[in-house]
Amino acid sequence: MNPIDLIGPISPLGNPAPFWFITFFKVLGFILHMIPMNIWYAGMILVAIFSVFGKRHSLELAHRLSRTMPIIVASGVNLGIVPLLFTQVGYYQFYYPAGVLMAYAWFSVIIILVFAYYGVYVYSLNVRSGKRTKFALASAWVSSIAFLFIGFLFANNFSLMVNVENWIGVFNSTSVAGAVLGTGLNTGDATLIPRWLMMFGLAMTTTAVYIIFDATFFKRKDATEDYKKWAARFAFVFHTIGVLIFVIMGSWYIFGAIERSTLDQLGQSSAMYVVFALTAISPGLVWIVMLAQSRGIRRNATIAAAALQVVVLGLNATSRQWVQNVEIFKFERISQLPVNIQWSPMILFLLLFVVGLAVVGWMIAKIVEVEKKAAEA
Amino acid sequence: MHYPWWYIPNMTAPMLIAAIATLHVFVSLYAVGGGIVLAGEVSHAYKIKSKPALDYLRSHTLFFILLTVVFGAITGVGIWWTIGLASPLATESLIHIFVFGWAMEYVFFLIEITSAFIFHYYWGRLDPRVHKTIGWIYGVSAYISLVIITGITAFQLDIGSWTPEKGMWAAFFNPQTFPQIMARSGASLLLASLYIYLHAAFKLRNDHELRSLVENRTSKWAMAGAVLVTIGGAWWYINIPDSAKSALAGASALNILSALIFLASAVVFFMLYFGPYRNPGWINPGFAILYFLLGIAATGTGEFIREGVRKPFIVYNYVTGNNVLVSQIPKLQATGYLNGGVWTKAYMKKYYPQVIEEDGNISDNKLLLLPVNDQIRVGQVLFQYHCNDCHSTKGFSGVANLTQGWNKSMIHTVVTHLDKAHFFMPPWCGTEAEAALLTEYLQSLSEPAPAGMKFSGTGFPEKGSVVSKVEGEEAGR
Repeated sequence: MNPIDLIGPISPLGNPAPFWFITFFKVLGFILHMIPMNIWYAGMILVAIFSVFGKRHSLELAHRLSRTMPIIVASGVNLGIVPLLFTQVGYYQFYYPAGVLMAYAWFSVIIILVFAYYGVYVYSLNVRSGKRTKFALASAWVSSIAFLFIGFLFANNFSLMVNVENWIGVFNSTSVAGAVLGTGLNTGDATLIPRWLMMFGLAMTTTAVYIIFDATFFKRKDATEDYKKWAARFAFVFHTIGVLIFVIMGSWYIFGAIERSTLDQLGQSSAMYVVFALTAISPGLVWIVMLAQSRGIRRNATIAAAALQVVVLGLNATSRQWVQNVEIFKFERISQLPVNIQWSPMILFLLLFVVGLAVVGWMIAKIVEVEKKAAEA
Repeated sequence: MHYPWWYIPNMTAPMLIAAIATLHVFVSLYAVGGGIVLAGEVSHAYKIKSKPALDYLRSHTLFFILLTVVFGAITGVGIWWTIGLASPLATESLIHIFVFGWAMEYVFFLIEITSAFIFHYYWGRLDPRVHKTIGWIYGVSAYISLVIITGITAFQLDIGSWTPEKGMWAAFFNPQTFPQIMARSGASLLLASLYIYLHAAFKLRNDHELRSLVENRTSKWAMAGAVLVTIGGAWWYINIPDSAKSALAGASALNILSALIFLASAVVFFMLYFGPYRNPGWINPGFAILYFLLGIAATGTGEFIREGVRKPFIVYNYVTGNNVLVSQIPKLQATGYLNGGVWTKAYMKKYYPQVIEEDGNISDNKLLLLPVNDQIRVGQVLFQYHCNDCHSTKGFSGVANLTQGWNKSMIHTVVTHLDKAHFFMPPWCGTEAEAALLTEYLQSLSEPAPAGMKFSGTGFPEKGSVVSKVEGEEAGR
C-alpha cells in the first residue's frame, strides 16, 4: 500500500476560514487547555501519593489541590474543545483515519474520563467534609492512573495522525474485509513514548508553578508561613524533576525519534529555529525563578513564574504545531486547500468570544471582591 | 468511504452514537431546563426571604453540578468523539458547515461552566443580586447552547434552502429548527422538574412543608414544559419532510411510539395538575422515581424517533446513511463503489492486484472472473462499506435474518433496487458487477426459511372437499 493512497479527498465545502485562522485558534485553544490539563495530569498523582503517604504539609498540599481539582478538570475539558474543533476543520483527512484505526482506545477516553472525573469529585468532596475514607483514597489513585492513561491514548492518536506510513501496518493487522476492528494503537511509532512523557514532564513544571501560585494567592489565611516555605521548596524540587524529564524526553524525541526530514525543514526556517531554541530553553527560565522562590515566596516572582510558564506552554504548542504541519504537508498541503470563508458567522463568533470573556471576567471580578473582603475581615 | 470503516461485530458502529447521544440528552436537557428553573426559583426564594428554600436549592445545585458538569459535559464531548469514529464523512461535513456555530456554543459553554461553579461555590458569600444574576447568566447561556445545537441537529433532518454554496445561516434556519427548539425547550423544563421531584422526594422526605412548596412551584415549570413539548412536537410533525412522515406511517414501531409520546405528555400534564400543583407534597420517593422513568422513557423515545425518521440520510439530501455524499452517487454507480472508496481501493490493490487495470482502476470484468470464494470476500468488503452502517451480519438488524429464505435472484433484485424496495434505504451505489458480488456474500449469510411453516399439505380441508362444500352451502343459506 502507498500511504498517499490512504489520504481521503478534500471536502467539497471548502474550509470555512483561512488556514492561519484555524491554526491560530487551534494553538491558542491548546495553550489554554494545557494549563488546567497539566495541573490535573501531574497534580492528581501528587494528590494520590500524598493522600496515602503524606504528612502534615504534603497532606495539606494534596487537600489544597483536590479542593480546586473539580474546577480545574471542568476548565480543562471545556478548553480542550477548541483545539479539537479546529483540528477537525483543518486536519480532518488525518484526524479521522487515525481515530478510526484505534477506535476502541479512542472511544474509551470518554468512559475513562467519566470515571476519572468522578474520582476527582469523590476525593474532593471527601476532603471538604473532613473525611478520609478508603474509597476516596482509591478514587484518587484511579483518577491519577486514568489521567495518565488518557495522556497515553492522546499521544497515540496524535502521533498516528501524522505517521501515515503506520496506518498501513495498523490497518493490515486489524482489518476485516477492508474495514478495521479499531483495536490498533500506534505503539510501533518511535515518537510515541517521548511525546507522552515529554508532556508529562511539562505537566510537572506547570503543576509546580501552580503549587507556588496556590500558596501565594489562594486561601491566604489557611496557608501558614510554614506551609508556604515547604510548598516553595517542594515546588522547586518537583519543577526540577519535571524539567529533567522534559529535557530527557525532548532530546530523545528530537535526536532519536523524529524523522530527519522534519528536522531538515527546521534548518530552512530561521524563525522556527528560534522558536524551537526558545522552546528548549524556556523551562530553564522558569526554573531560575522557582529557585529564587524556594528561599521564600514573593508575589511578584510568583506572577513572573506563572506568566513565564504560560510562555513555555505557548512555545511548546507553537513548536508542536509546526512539526505537525511539516509532517502532514508531506502528504497534503492542507494550508492551500480551497477556502469558503463564512464571514458573518466568523465575525459573530469573534464578537461573542470577546463578550464571553467579558462576562467571565465580570463573574471572576465578583468573586475576587468577595475573597478580598473575606481576607480583610 | 473516504475513511476507514469501523467494524463492530454483531452490531454497527453508529449504534454507539445512539447510546452516547441518548445518555447525553437525559442530562443535557436537565442542564438547560434545570439552569432556568434554578435561576427562577433562587430569585423567588430570595424574594420571599426563605432560608429553607435557599438551603434546599443549594443542595440541589450540588446534585445538578455533579450530574451536568461532569456526566453531561463529558458525554457531550463524547458525542463528538463517537460521530467522528462512526460517521466521519458526515461529521466532516457538519463541522465545515457549522464550525462557527460550535465555536459560539463553546463560548456559551465556557460561561456556563464558570457561572455554574461560582453559583454553587460562592453560595451565601455573594450579594443576593449578584448571585441571582449569575444564576440567570447560567440559565441563559445554557439555553443558547440548546438553541445552537438544536439548529445543527435539525439541519440533519431537513436542510431547507441550504446548498453547499450557501453558508451557515441558510443551514441553521432550516424548517426544523424552531419546532425542535420549542419541543426541546419544553422537554428541558419538564425533565428538569422530574429531576427536582426525584431529588426533593428523597432530600425533603421529612419536611412536608418545604417539599410541598418545592413541588408546587416546580409543577408550574413542568406543566409549561409539557405544553411546549406537545405544541413543538405537533409543529415538528407538520414540518418534517414527506419521507419522514412516510417513515413514521410505515414503521409500526415508530407509529406507536409517536402516539405514545403525545399520549404520555397529555397524561403527565394532567398528573402534574392534579398531583403536585393541586396537591403539593403528594409525591413520595416511589412516585418520583416513576415520574422520572416516564420522563426518561419519553425523552429517549423522542430522540429515537427524531433519528429514525431521517433515514436514509445522516444529513438530509447531502450525506447518506452509509457515509456517501449524494453528489458522488452517479459516479460511484458508473465507476464502482470499490473504486470510489479510498480504503476499499487500497485494500483491493493490496489483496486483489489481479483485478486492477493499468490505469489503476478496478475492472468490473475481472471482478466477475474471481473464484467464488474471492467474490464472496470482495462482497464482504462491499457489505462493510455499503451496508454495515445500519446492518450487522447476524446481530443487530442482521442481513442473515433480513434475507432469510430469499433466493439469489431475490437478493440481487433488492440489492440493485435498494431505495425502491425500501425508500428509507440509500440507492445501490456500485456497478452491476459489484452488486453480483454483494449478492454472493449475502447469499452466503442468508438463513434458510424457518422450518415448520406449511402452506400446503397441512391435512386441513382443501377447496372442493366435502367439508368445504357443506360450509359453502351454509354460507349460501
